[in-house]
Amino acid sequence: MKAEQEIERSVAKHCATQKSCTRASSEMDKRVLSDALRVYREAPKSEPSLAGTNLRRIIMKSPLTKLAAAAVLVVAVALSFHFFAASTTTAYAIEQTIQASHSVRYLHVKSFMASIPNEPIECWVEFDLSGQIKNMRIIKPAWMDPADGETVIVWKDGEMEFWIKKKNFLFIQEDQEIAAQVLGMMEMLDPKHAAANIQQAQEEGDTQVEIDEPKNKAEPITITVTYQAEDGTPAQRAILFVDRATKLLDSIEAYQLRGGKYIHFSTAEFYDYDKPIDPKMFTLDDVPSDAMRVDQIAQEIGLPQGDLTDNEIAVEVVRQFFEALIAQDYAEAGRLFGGVPAERMQKRYGHIRFVRIVSLGEPVLNPATAELKVPYVVEIEENGVITKWKTKYSYVPVRQVHGQAGRWATTGAPLGI
Amino acid sequence: MLEDKLLVLKCRWGSTDAMCRIYLKYKDYLLTLAKGLLSEQAEAEDVVHDVFVSFARVVGQFHLTGSLSSYLATCVSNLARDKARARMRRTGAPAPVRPAVRSICDPQQRAIETEELTQLRQAMSQIPYEQREVVMLHLKGGMKFREIAKLQGLSVSTTYGRYRYGLDKLRSLLNSEGKK
Repeated sequence: MKAEQEIERSVAKHCATQKSCTRASSEMDKRVLSDALRVYREAPKSEPSLAGTNLRRIIMKSPLTKLAAAAVLVVAVALSFHFFAASTTTAYAIEQTIQASHSVRYLHVKSFMASIPNEPIECWVEFDLSGQIKNMRIIKPAWMDPADGETVIVWKDGEMEFWIKKKNFLFIQEDQEIAAQVLGMMEMLDPKHAAANIQQAQEEGDTQVEIDEPKNKAEPITITVTYQAEDGTPAQRAILFVDRATKLLDSIEAYQLRGGKYIHFSTAEFYDYDKPIDPKMFTLDDVPSDAMRVDQIAQEIGLPQGDLTDNEIAVEVVRQFFEALIAQDYAEAGRLFGGVPAERMQKRYGHIRFVRIVSLGEPVLNPATAELKVPYVVEIEENGVITKWKTKYSYVPVRQVHGQAGRWATTGAPLGI
Repeated sequence: MLEDKLLVLKCRWGSTDAMCRIYLKYKDYLLTLAKGLLSEQAEAEDVVHDVFVSFARVVGQFHLTGSLSSYLATCVSNLARDKARARMRRTGAPAPVRPAVRSICDPQQRAIETEELTQLRQAMSQIPYEQREVVMLHLKGGMKFREIAKLQGLSVSTTYGRYRYGLDKLRSLLNSEGKK
């Protein structure tokens, strides 16, 4: 009699054997890729520009992507164009800039909004030998988020740390989804991709590209890219300034057409090509020892989902969160609330005497943030009187923990942190 | 995982290169899965083709919330189920049982294929499709019961029950085969 485990082993072995036998033929590859790519080219895409709803959604989801997105806005505007081939007969070719950019290991970028020229978003980027982003440091100026003030973000080998000086708050996180978004957007900031996209556009042909090499050798080469709207009229413009000697990009200016005029919108300036960046730039050594530290890498956050549905685990997280507050177990409550330290939880919630959970409602999905909002009613005791707790928020948001697959935690709490 | 997220993101932004890389990365995995569900190579290829064409249509505005391999495996499973039902309606019979060792295997692999595996393949094709689907998605597709339950629109316990019934049926078929 075969045991169940033996059957499972046999099936697994069968699968492995079959896998080694089953290979897609070259005919199949040709058929699938031909059909899929034809459909893909005709399908709508999400433009990586500020105008795109998807980017706005990404920005909302994470402080880091909010920052990174802002940092690349100026380039994104330019790169969301579909450039077209202008017949140029100049000695300079965009290929030269692509070639020159490929060996760049270090880069310092400043992005300015035209309306706020004195407070740039600054990025320092280190690429690995294959040209992929390895480390980066971004400084988000206070104007972007006055409540937080200036924020420093370091991304190193997949880990990211946010240092919000004004709030004395350090947040450490590892999340592949956000990392992918950041890397994708930072690739747009990478000059070699900017130049390569223009070259591709020259081959595809929907926009106007003009290259000007001034006779005065002291002036940079300019590439003016004008995007045409669907009706064929000009819509947006980017001007790329290329260094004569190195063929590297000096800067990109983005313009929007308003009232028949191109209005300067933003500028990205590229500095210190290949000037090695001090490794200290990719660490946050200056964070005070008394900063509130939320480390989502060093500790397990929230609860494992197990076989529960998304709605079930969301309710369970909130139930255990309030049970921890009732039991005055602030360490557990903090663990369920994104890893907030026990002392902080006690300081914020210790003055409230939680009595019991009256009800937890059906979660409602917030599609913009992928959070499930769980409505709650709890009772508290004040001066010997038990009442329903009234706060600004009637729900607790819950979502999967960044970088901890299968675990769920609250991303907010009625009184915040 | 990070690579997949980045590939999907690039697809959303219009990268044909990223689209090709997703296909090349998952084509064999999905073909194996489809073939396990349908037995027929041509039908399995059609399923993988249709899955990628559909994926190409939506990926420009696609938000990947879980793993890409599970998403694609779910698509394959849905299409394979439709094909199996259509075949049942058309012919009134499940897919014919093919010899375990197919012509696409090289001689070395042919030798590896034991009699037991041949029996197992035949037994797999005899268990009800719903049970085979759970067994294949769990053991071959690497999907969790929760994910399969969501795909099938059933509770986790029902899905797990189908898995157990499937294994029991396999055991029964293999034991009866062994007694012959």
